[in-house]
Amino acid sequence: MAAPMALRRELFSLVRIFSGVSHLGPRALGTCSPHMKCNLIRSHLPLASSTSFHTATVFSSTPSPITVTEEPDTLFQKVLVLVKGHDRAVLDSYEFFATTAAKELGITINKVYEPPKDMERFTVLKSIHIFKNHRVQYEMRTHYRCIELSHLTGCTAQVYLEYIQRNLPEGVAMAVTQTAMEKIPNHILEPVWEEHPIDDKPSQ
Amino acid sequence: MASHTSKVVLFVGRINVSGLGLQKPVSRVTYTTSFFANSSGGKKGRFDKDGQGFVKRPRRAPAQPRTEKMPVDQDWTSVFPTATTFRPSSVPLPLRMGYPMKGAVPLPKMGNLELIKIPNFLHLTPGAIKKHCEALKSFCTEWPSVLDTDAKCDEHFPIKVESTDYVSAGPSVRNPSARIVHLKVKLSHFNLDDHARKKMIKLVGARYCKDTDILSMTADSCPLRQQNYEYALYLLTVLYHESWKTEDWEAEKSLADMEEYSWEDSPSQKNMLDILVRMKVAGEEEEGEEVREQLLGKSEVQEYKDSVMKLKNEGMNERTMLQYKEAVVKVLNL
Repeated sequence: MAAPMALRRELFSLVRIFSGVSHLGPRALGTCSPHMKCNLIRSHLPLASSTSFHTATVFSSTPSPITVTEEPDTLFQKVLVLVKGHDRAVLDSYEFFATTAAKELGITINKVYEPPKDMERFTVLKSIHIFKNHRVQYEMRTHYRCIELSHLTGCTAQVYLEYIQRNLPEGVAMAVTQTAMEKIPNHILEPVWEEHPIDDKPSQ
Repeated sequence: MASHTSKVVLFVGRINVSGLGLQKPVSRVTYTTSFFANSSGGKKGRFDKDGQGFVKRPRRAPAQPRTEKMPVDQDWTSVFPTATTFRPSSVPLPLRMGYPMKGAVPLPKMGNLELIKIPNFLHLTPGAIKKHCEALKSFCTEWPSVLDTDAKCDEHFPIKVESTDYVSAGPSVRNPSARIVHLKVKLSHFNLDDHARKKMIKLVGARYCKDTDILSMTADSCPLRQQNYEYALYLLTVLYHESWKTEDWEAEKSLADMEEYSWEDSPSQKNMLDILVRMKVAGEEEEGEEVREQLLGKSEVQEYKDSVMKLKNEGMNERTMLQYKEAVVKVLNL
């Protein structure tokens, strides 16, 4: 099966990552790329389509699973997942699912809390014609649930979020706020004017 | 084929031939004719077929629900592998759902619409989640162990870019709010000298927070997130390089434009020195610039200077007022 080969490759890449981390460049962390994306999608498709018959056939159709690239991985200091729904019980179950998945994948969960619900109420006339004193009131309740995760790499975040979003139940919406960390770009490290003492105004 | 035979049987029925071989069909046909008699004529063709179906296919007893045949140690992930509607015959749990009538309990699961309407998580049991995560683990990467505290993260990766993704069901997958990019950075991480820092703060205006030393910019004028991100970085670059430049008109900076209060050449300094000179003159008979400089060098005068600077820059609170009082007492020898 392709799994042990993939694991070996992954271990090798991890070794490379850890050896390169001592002078903390994210350069060696690169496993995230467009190749990764389509691999991810490819590995998920059999999961979705053929599982109605057998779970055993899931792994047999994966082609070469993991490609490691030199592109540096993005680092997310914080990822905030806010789910909204009309039913609190559904959000409870979803929260259990999301937190369990995060624990299994080794993602640190900062906190999980429930922001207070929003109620949108409006009053309309009950009858189509006259009878202004008889009205009907409706309300729409939106419950929220917030899961704060921290210290995620770009690849892990992609995997986790795609897993979470594919299993989002009907009638539930999600908003994901991610805070990516970056180094100061090279062109902001030193002022330009020291190299070119002549006062030329840059057009860019 | 069925229609052919149905015609034959009816024919037999009408002729009313009774015989050994034809006893069964006759009785069935009479049953069917009476059935026809009861119903009001209209759709003969369909009823023919249905009548035939009635006659041909014996009613089979409904099968046992799958729950009775399920072993206790089965693999649940193969029963509900994906998100599906609730099937009461496949879930071996005594579930009840619905608002009960007075004195009654909620309705059982068979044919319960409430259970079918609500999204179920039967495909996401802890065992299933474990299986899925085992398969996904190989695509995840580890967080570098060196960056465990926030301070270290800030030190090596000072720029923070914040963006939001939205997932919801609707006519469109896109959400225009997803293009907004927030950029946050601490100015202490930049290579700025005094003048450049002051000019940068003046240029950004309200986007800089003095307490946390964070410059926060929001870019939302472009339609795509990538464009907004690049625009924010471009703004940062331009700000940085412009703040290092010294224009000719910056020489016209007046006292009102200063960001901080400075005691040198201020009315406070003049007044204090006048007072001290007069005190000294009362004792001795010296005057001149050297006296002023000597006075400036004294430690009490320096203390007074510090307290006045704190009062003006940090604002009036108990600590600064007390400091000012002590400094004044010391300087004037009260």
